[in-house]
Amino acid sequence: MILDIIHILVLIGLIATAYLAVKLRDLMACAVMLGIFSFLLSLEFFILQAPDVAIAEAGIGAGLTTAIFVMAIRKTSRWEVEE
Amino acid sequence: MRNILMLIVFLTIFSFFMYVAINPGDFNSQTGEHFVFGSPKFTDMDNYFIHNAQNQTGANNVVTSIVFDYRGFDTLGEASVLFTAVLGVGLALRLLRGDKK
Amino acid sequence: MMSKIVRTQANFLYPFILIFGFYIVAHGHLTPGGGFQGGAVIATGIALVIVAYGYDRIKSWIKKSTLTATESIGLLCFILTAFIGIGTSFFYNFLANSGLLFGDRVSYGVNPGYLNTAGTLPIMNLAVGIEVLGGLGAILMYMMSYGKEVDK
Repeated sequence: MILDIIHILVLIGLIATAYLAVKLRDLMACAVMLGIFSFLLSLEFFILQAPDVAIAEAGIGAGLTTAIFVMAIRKTSRWEVEE
Repeated sequence: MRNILMLIVFLTIFSFFMYVAINPGDFNSQTGEHFVFGSPKFTDMDNYFIHNAQNQTGANNVVTSIVFDYRGFDTLGEASVLFTAVLGVGLALRLLRGDKK
Repeated sequence: MMSKIVRTQANFLYPFILIFGFYIVAHGHLTPGGGFQGGAVIATGIALVIVAYGYDRIKSWIKKSTLTATESIGLLCFILTAFIGIGTSFFYNFLANSGLLFGDRVSYGVNPGYLNTAGTLPIMNLAVGIEVLGGLGAILMYMMSYGKEVDK
């Protein structure tokens, strides 16, 4: 029962962070949102009993891609520009 | 217009996933129960690995024994893919002669 | 270079991340994880330091040539370990159940897990871990070295 509640909360968090990553104007906040998305996805993999994939997702998705996004944003502009 | 199109696409994909999740699936005549979402149809290979991997390779982690022993060629391909990715990044982002060090 | 808060936190956190990554690599044949996952976790620790301190300071500590050499050494070790068993077949696990290094037997079922088992798997885990660590670190260093930071 408590596992089901955690599962549903993780899924709601996935959808919310994905929506925020598309909608926010601050690109640094978008990168952080993608990091949270990857972390929640790794939690979901762990709930679905795939700890191997969860470790890979936490390492590469939440760690490395966020680092690369932060580096790229610091070398370009931080705010999304309207065309 | 664009919003309506996005809504249609979203509803189609959402209803497809919900159908797959709820659908009881085919009937298994051997065990007499329905296939549920997430359980494989053919399990001979899985049962072989689960029952023999510990004796044959001596590893407790069956996933690692499959990745590095039974299916070693796949891991070799994965390693070479990573090598090629580093090669590509190094070629694309190298310092040219005109750039300042 | 980031603010002092980020640098202090990176100084505190990166040894634990490195130790956890090496634990995943070394116990790859007993617990979930393996060479690729452990190497990715170690590369995350390196990425933390690189992002916190910036390329100009980091380039005297971590060399790009060292990372690429590490990657090549890991791939070569992996292929050599696979080649030693070529008497039977490529990727033959010649050390398993032999009583030599990593050669203890394991029976079917639940057991506490012993490090001295699984034949060539720990060696390949270590090789792939080194390779992934070098590869991802080299990608990060190349991405960091290109372009200039913009002041806003």
